[in-house]
Amino acid sequence: MDFLLKIQHSGFCEWVRQSDSIFSYSGILLLHTIGMGFVVGVNACIDLRILGFAPAVRLSGMEKFFPVLWLGFWVNAATGTILLAIDVVDKLANADFYVKMVFIALAIINLRMIKTNVLRDPSIDKRPLSGKAKILALTSLILWIGAITAGRLLAYVGPGSGAK
Amino acid sequence: MTAAHLHLLLNHFPTVAFSIGIGLFVAALFGKNHSLQRVSLVILFLTAALTITTYVSGNDAQQELIESPDLPAALVSAHESAALVAFLFMQLTGFFAWLGLWLWRRAGRLAAWNAGVVLILAVISFGLMARAANMGGDIRHTEIHESKEAAVGDETQTLARSWGAYVEAHSWVWPSAETLHFVGLSLLFGVVLIVDLRMLGIGKQSLSFAALYQLLPLGMLGFTINLATGMMFFVATPKQYTGFLFFFKMVLIVLGAINVLYFMLLNEPWTIDEGRDASNFTKLVAAAAIFIWIAVLFCGHMLPFFGNSF
Repeated sequence: MDFLLKIQHSGFCEWVRQSDSIFSYSGILLLHTIGMGFVVGVNACIDLRILGFAPAVRLSGMEKFFPVLWLGFWVNAATGTILLAIDVVDKLANADFYVKMVFIALAIINLRMIKTNVLRDPSIDKRPLSGKAKILALTSLILWIGAITAGRLLAYVGPGSGAK
Repeated sequence: MTAAHLHLLLNHFPTVAFSIGIGLFVAALFGKNHSLQRVSLVILFLTAALTITTYVSGNDAQQELIESPDLPAALVSAHESAALVAFLFMQLTGFFAWLGLWLWRRAGRLAAWNAGVVLILAVISFGLMARAANMGGDIRHTEIHESKEAAVGDETQTLARSWGAYVEAHSWVWPSAETLHFVGLSLLFGVVLIVDLRMLGIGKQSLSFAALYQLLPLGMLGFTINLATGMMFFVATPKQYTGFLFFFKMVLIVLGAINVLYFMLLNEPWTIDEGRDASNFTKLVAAAAIFIWIAVLFCGHMLPFFGNSF
């Protein structure tokens, strides 16, 4: 606990919390939102394509957008770590925080399964998609919506939320 | 220029441009003139987008003038309610006009159902907008205030205020709408990134523009979710959304609407087959799209920090 408090009250965290600079809290949260748009947006388009939207789009080309998706992911891992550090005592005591982390972990595992089982299949654009591929796409959408919902609710539920 | 002046400038677009759009559309339908049909759909879609700035500037004007003693509050409220209903119908018209333009590329003509829906919605919107404009005009004519004020009566329980009260009384509404706003923004971002980064060269070996064109309605779905949830915020607590930053966000959305029309109307993007590079100008427009939508997110995100939101 002392260790956590030390992090939370470090000079850097104090600056992030209190500075009016656009590079502190507001800018870090902005990057976190843009990163979300990159990760969830690209992943959701792949999911919806597997589910049957935009059938002319070849799935074999979709892996080319993974660097964009991973850019968003790592930006969010970095900004998320800072957003955790500045409020670490309350966040770690908030069940919703763990719910969000589990959703993200499962969504990433799901994405890797889509990559190996669907996108890397050499005959992917030559025959109809399997039921398994569609289930993976559907769970991917559900997991990301879960992650977004849990993330948004961090501002409303549990310790550290604005609603007290 | 004050907010009231800006509103007086912008409030001519919805009625004037929409009447031109409807007139051309009717003439084009009767004359079976396909290019004129497309032009009128473009006018209706862009006017709906511009109307977002008109509606928002009206709120700025209202907040600016709210303190002045000679402002006929009941007339303003009545105008606001009328404008809200007109605005909703106008956005619906814009949506179906866009859908008509999108389907065009696939069918090569305007679907009959789409023409009917757009025409009916456009006429209703125009009527509602003319009524709202007329009520707005009354605000400026002090000589008729007394009789008009008596006619509209007590307008404190407007549609907008009832919605505001509902949101205040139900704590789940705001976070739910915020979550949907994030889902919608992700969907819009996904489509913008995939289509526009392909124009810039990513994944060009296996993706043609004609294929990616099928993704555009998903982006429009994301935008529609965000327009709807955004309206839920705006109408519930209009005081939060005054000032430059929010208005600029709306201007950027109009630019985003113009940007997507480039890809829908011009022939150049359609020559971009698998393995082919886009022209430099198309690349510029694609890069602009990514920039515009990140800037829209920036303006919205910074409202609590640099704007009037709480």
